[in-house]
Amino acid sequence: MARVRMTGNALTTAAVVLAVAAAGAAAWGGVSWYDAAQDESAAYAQSRDEALAAGEQAVQNMNTLDHRKLAKGLDSWEDSTTGELHRQLVDGRSAFAKQIQQAKTVSTAQILSGAVTELDDRAGQAGVMVALRVTVTAPKGKPAVKESRMLGKLTRTSEGWKLSALGQAPVGNTAG
Amino acid sequence: MKERGGTAVVSTDTGTDTETREAEEAEDAGAPAEEDLPDPSGPARRWPRIAAAFLVLALLATGVALFAEGRALRDTPATSNRALTDSEATTRVAGDVSNALGKVFSYSPQATAVTKESAKQLLAGKALQQYAALFGQVEKQAADQKLTLTTHVVRAGVTRLTDDSAHLLVFLDQVYERQGKPATTAAAQLSVTARLRDGHWTVVEIASR
Repeated sequence: MARVRMTGNALTTAAVVLAVAAAGAAAWGGVSWYDAAQDESAAYAQSRDEALAAGEQAVQNMNTLDHRKLAKGLDSWEDSTTGELHRQLVDGRSAFAKQIQQAKTVSTAQILSGAVTELDDRAGQAGVMVALRVTVTAPKGKPAVKESRMLGKLTRTSEGWKLSALGQAPVGNTAG
Repeated sequence: MKERGGTAVVSTDTGTDTETREAEEAEDAGAPAEEDLPDPSGPARRWPRIAAAFLVLALLATGVALFAEGRALRDTPATSNRALTDSEATTRVAGDVSNALGKVFSYSPQATAVTKESAKQLLAGKALQQYAALFGQVEKQAADQKLTLTTHVVRAGVTRLTDDSAHLLVFLDQVYERQGKPATTAAAQLSVTARLRDGHWTVVEIASR
């Protein structure tokens, strides 16, 4: 009988230890999950990748235009932008459309490489640099292929990152 | 019961014997009775044990699941790339690479040896081989045409960064000056791979974009 009692005690002890260990495992898992969920660098890394993907796509859109599908192309320009840049595009749309209709050009762009140069996750602002190859085909003559390098500013909107500024990286004004 | 009755009848003859027998019987009856004791309360006692076992398993499973979820949140392709998330390391690799490119792509007719020497320190691997092949022509050209090249980095961005390797996109301006002629500036875009060696980033691959 005494032997049975001791085994019973040992079992109880083992059960308690196991229960405590299990509770510990659950708590540890919880803490580790919470840490990860609160990990700002993970969220920041995610934002960086989203900004780059959106930035590259937007730059590509902004360098793509087919005079035969002008409305679609200009819509895509407007969809890729926000803020001041968006306003400029909307304001200048009809004049620009006329210009392209006369020139009858087809522009296509291929993104070669891109990088996020700055990212303010809280303010929803980012800077990107993109190297691309633009091919412009006019009705006459051979297609003109041009390597291009652009700097863009991105602003986060409810529909994701959009370009709020875009321009060629300036050549020749880097004094020192 | 019948046997007991029998024993009771016999008991009148040999009292002591019956007493021991009755004691034995009592013990015999007692033992099973005590062993039976847990039995009636058995199911009631077993349920908490099963519940406790389930609880323990559930807690363990929760712990493992949360840990796995946490890892999945933390260890993504996005987090393994430390570009910008580690701002200090990002600034350093961009600085080291910009400095290296500026040095190896700048030369003057008088000082091609300086450029050559810095290339040996700042470049390695494939980049050094490519550079050595290129620089033979450059050296001659620089001397013959009195050509000076100055390279400025306009912007350098880190696309991918780990502990000891990095990929960058670099925009450069290259200013060519020939004696007696106005300087011309050319734009260049390079994809650069760098490795960390002895605390310094070394350029190991350069591709024109």
